[in-house]
Amino acid sequence: MTDPAPQQAEVAQPQAAADGTIVQAREVSRRFGEGDAAVDALTDVSVEFQRHRFTAIMGPSGSGKSTLMHILAGLDRPTGGTVLVDGTEITTLDDAELTELRRDKLGFVFQFFNLLPVLTAEENLILPLSIAGRKPDQAWLEQLIKTVGLEDRRTHRPSELSGGQQQRVAVARALVSKPAVVFADEPTGNLDSKASEDVLKLLRQAVDEFDQTVVMVTHDPEAATYADRLLTLRDGRIVSDDKPGTVDEVIELMKQLD
Amino acid sequence: MTSLAVKSLWARKRRAFTTTLAVVIGVSLVAGTYMFTDTINQAFSDIFHDSLKGTSVVVTARQPVTQESGEVNSFSDRILPTVRKVPGVRLASGTIFTPGGLFKQNGDAIGSQFSPKFISSHLPDGLESLTYIDGHPPVNAHQVSLDKGSAGDAGVSIGDSIRVAGQTRAKTYRVVGLTQLGNTAFGGAAIAQLTLPEAQFVTDKVGKFDQISVAAAKGVTPTELRARVEKAVPPNVRVETAQQNADRATNDIKNNLSFLSIILLVFAGVALIVGAFVIFNTFSITIAQRVREFGLLRTLGASRRQVLGSVFAESLLIGVIGAALGLLAGFGMAKAIKALFKAIGADLPSTALVVQNRTIVVSLLIGILVTLVSSLMPALRSTRVPPMAALSDIELPRTRTRSIVLNALAVLLCLVGLVLVLAGLLSSSKDAGKSAESMGLGAIAVLFGVSLWSPRLVKPLSAVAGWPIERLRGLAGRLARENAERNPARTAATAAALMIGLALVAFVTIFAAGIKGSISSAIDKNFQGQLVIQNSDGFSPIPAAAAKAAGKVPGVDTVSSLRYTEVKINGSGGKPKVSALDPSTAPKVLSLDWQDGTSNKTLTGLRNNQMIIDQAFADNNGFSVGDPLQMLGQTGKTPFFKIVGTVKDNADLLGAGIVTQQAMGRELGNKDDSIDLLKLAPGANANQIQDRLKAVMEKLFPTTSVLNQEQLKKNQEDQVNKLLGLIYALLSLAVIVSLFGIANTLSLSIHERTRELGMLRAVGMSRRQVRRLIRYESVITALIGAVLGLILGCIFAALISQPLKDQGFGLTFPVAQLIVLLVLAALAGVLAAIGPARRAARLDVLEALAYE
Repeated sequence: MTDPAPQQAEVAQPQAAADGTIVQAREVSRRFGEGDAAVDALTDVSVEFQRHRFTAIMGPSGSGKSTLMHILAGLDRPTGGTVLVDGTEITTLDDAELTELRRDKLGFVFQFFNLLPVLTAEENLILPLSIAGRKPDQAWLEQLIKTVGLEDRRTHRPSELSGGQQQRVAVARALVSKPAVVFADEPTGNLDSKASEDVLKLLRQAVDEFDQTVVMVTHDPEAATYADRLLTLRDGRIVSDDKPGTVDEVIELMKQLD
Repeated sequence: MTSLAVKSLWARKRRAFTTTLAVVIGVSLVAGTYMFTDTINQAFSDIFHDSLKGTSVVVTARQPVTQESGEVNSFSDRILPTVRKVPGVRLASGTIFTPGGLFKQNGDAIGSQFSPKFISSHLPDGLESLTYIDGHPPVNAHQVSLDKGSAGDAGVSIGDSIRVAGQTRAKTYRVVGLTQLGNTAFGGAAIAQLTLPEAQFVTDKVGKFDQISVAAAKGVTPTELRARVEKAVPPNVRVETAQQNADRATNDIKNNLSFLSIILLVFAGVALIVGAFVIFNTFSITIAQRVREFGLLRTLGASRRQVLGSVFAESLLIGVIGAALGLLAGFGMAKAIKALFKAIGADLPSTALVVQNRTIVVSLLIGILVTLVSSLMPALRSTRVPPMAALSDIELPRTRTRSIVLNALAVLLCLVGLVLVLAGLLSSSKDAGKSAESMGLGAIAVLFGVSLWSPRLVKPLSAVAGWPIERLRGLAGRLARENAERNPARTAATAAALMIGLALVAFVTIFAAGIKGSISSAIDKNFQGQLVIQNSDGFSPIPAAAAKAAGKVPGVDTVSSLRYTEVKINGSGGKPKVSALDPSTAPKVLSLDWQDGTSNKTLTGLRNNQMIIDQAFADNNGFSVGDPLQMLGQTGKTPFFKIVGTVKDNADLLGAGIVTQQAMGRELGNKDDSIDLLKLAPGANANQIQDRLKAVMEKLFPTTSVLNQEQLKKNQEDQVNKLLGLIYALLSLAVIVSLFGIANTLSLSIHERTRELGMLRAVGMSRRQVRRLIRYESVITALIGAVLGLILGCIFAALISQPLKDQGFGLTFPVAQLIVLLVLAALAGVLAAIGPARRAARLDVLEALAYE
């Protein structure tokens, strides 16, 4: 069940255990509001995420997919159940500990890129390290910049980059500290199809070549096909958990949910 | 639309509150100033009127030149029998009312340092206005009464002995009564009452009166009696009804104190201008943030005028609330100002707080007008929002013509300001009030000009101010600097508010340092003697007998005194001060900076019909060596003096000119010493002699103090420092207003960057780091304002000190103090950031990320 590996210190190096569970949710519930107005966004959800896997989470609006991700990432607290990230029970952590967890073990990719307009592409890329007061590993940094194809855009500000380029910087930013797991929240929601493809390939590459673990919430059936595993939610519960198959199959699956 | 204004204000309560405070502080200073000065005037009026209760007609000496020190002439007691013989006079009595010093047996002074301590004589029943609330009036040469207020403050009660020091040796009396005058508190002033002969003796006015109080017989009106008395007495005395006399005295005080309200109102004006910047900036930012909302209103069919109206309604509401709160806060401010004056040793009399209608009307009007005017530009911008803005984020158009106009305006304001300052400088000798006005307006124009221009300076200045923070704090410093540079106009306007306060603080600091330096160098240059004796308050006269007593102390070689009086000089305005020396002894203790005339360059030959004048005074009025100079002094005579030389008067030690003491006594009517300069015998031990002198003076003339040169400098510096403290305290209000401005701007910027902050928190920035980020941005903004302010302050000080160079004013830049100011400004930035930083750190990550 629980990953027996001791909690890691400093820069999180994902462990190479082949079938290791990196994130685990047990009977997680999330209720918003109280009394009659209460809404159950999640009800007793239990799910595990393996290392080096690319998981997509889908579901109609209000299915609880975003809430689930927020809770897994320590951005929100469940009203019931527990969450383990890389061996740490995170639902009991205080704000400072959660901040440190996010800084050292988690990477984030947002729908709205969320780059700092005042920093250059490269500065945005190494932001998590700068916040932690660490120097980037130069070789890794070069490799990342090359991978995301921004060698000639390093000193550009976000306003001088296209949406796709900005999101690629954001993906690189999520990877730069070699986190235990990368959470992507609708990373292609604001991109055209070409740019979306680039970003998804990048996430795939992160799993295949850089041994990363990616959990992605998406609306886009196309995006789901890049994943190794597709979880679907409805009304706060997991309704399917399988390989994604083809785009048409995913679309069909979504139709059944709606 | 009005209810929309109220709602939108309510939705942004906190910001509305800090914006309101920007008005409140300035208005409270206006209201407080009026209440404070009105109350003082009322108190003096009460005192003067109460003190003539029972008196119908008052006889006093005429004063051809009223002295700023308030000293009055006395006249011969031989007039009293004449007055008594006038038909209709029921009762007439001569009296003494002269400032002096009162001391407890242990040497402690009674009353506060800069307030007058009066020695008066007890009047017969029917004329006496003091009420004896305990004990009885003095009836013999060993008794005194004291006003209850100062007796209480000093811990003196009936049966205790106190010392009364006038113009002769101090004498000890037993307190036999406690008095009160009406319902007024004297503040730090005190009144001791002696029998008439004792009062005359102690004040060295034997055979003289300061005043004759006359009570009318039944059926005789004061006006009638006044006319009769006037016919009977010689022309050197003035006869007034009690009412006239009290009114005149009240008016004199009012005029003398009017500078006080002007100065306080200037500080209020500064706080209001700074407040206007804050309001302007807050409105500009909120309107930029509400572009979408205005666009929506336009889409829904609101006219430009309606949009304008809703913004104006908002500012009107802020103005009304701010002005009303400011008026209320004025009560506290009036008390605070009084306490401030008390703290520097000037405890002024007071009575129940006077609130005139004028105070209410002016305070409310000013508060509302300042708010409306400063929101005018932002409000007009709001009308240019197109309906399209509802659909997408549209930056408000900033047209090219507009920026050209603004730049031109900035340059124009700076130029006009400089011209005004220079014009003020060049005319400074003619009319001090006018030129100060011109310089003040010029300074304001320059400040406005610079603040219009300052958006261009934000980048380089923030690079300078941010450099150390970036070096030391890395990312947080970097981001703070970048954020400060993001919207230069906003940062500039925020910093400009602080700039104004700091420019003035820097100016005053530099100027005060210059004054202290020039006093110190004047003392070094002019004083040949080792010791001086002066009044403990630093300006009141000292008994002439003190010089004689000092001369007898072994080891003292020469004692020479300086005397001052204010005169009118034919061909020159105002009431210049002239000094008088004893030509036979003065050269031993004083060295003069000769410019022209007197071939041997000494004072020794100065005759009674000759004078030496200050070079700057000569230049300003076109006098030169050889000219005759006609003067009017306290005697009413108008003697001519021949100018025989000019000197450079450093630090206004000698006034407009120097005459002999004989001439001053005879022609100008002053025989009181102001300062005794002592030269010691060769080889004498200065410390030892100073101790001896102190012992003698403490015993005989306790109002005096004996100082060596260093102490004299220190003494003068202390006085400058006290004044400086007062000015700092008043300017700090303007600085506080600008801190609200910084806090406002930060809150609004944080509001705009909510999502960025959410992202930073999501990728691992701690709350502490977020707070730091905001704090540094605040510090950088504050430092931009501070650096600009310091530079402007230095320029102003350098400019305004130019014409003073002739008078020995040495411009020095107190670098250490200016650096301290920078550090304080940075700390102020930290202070301003506390609230916004805390709120930024508290942002919920998820909500912030979802924020739009």
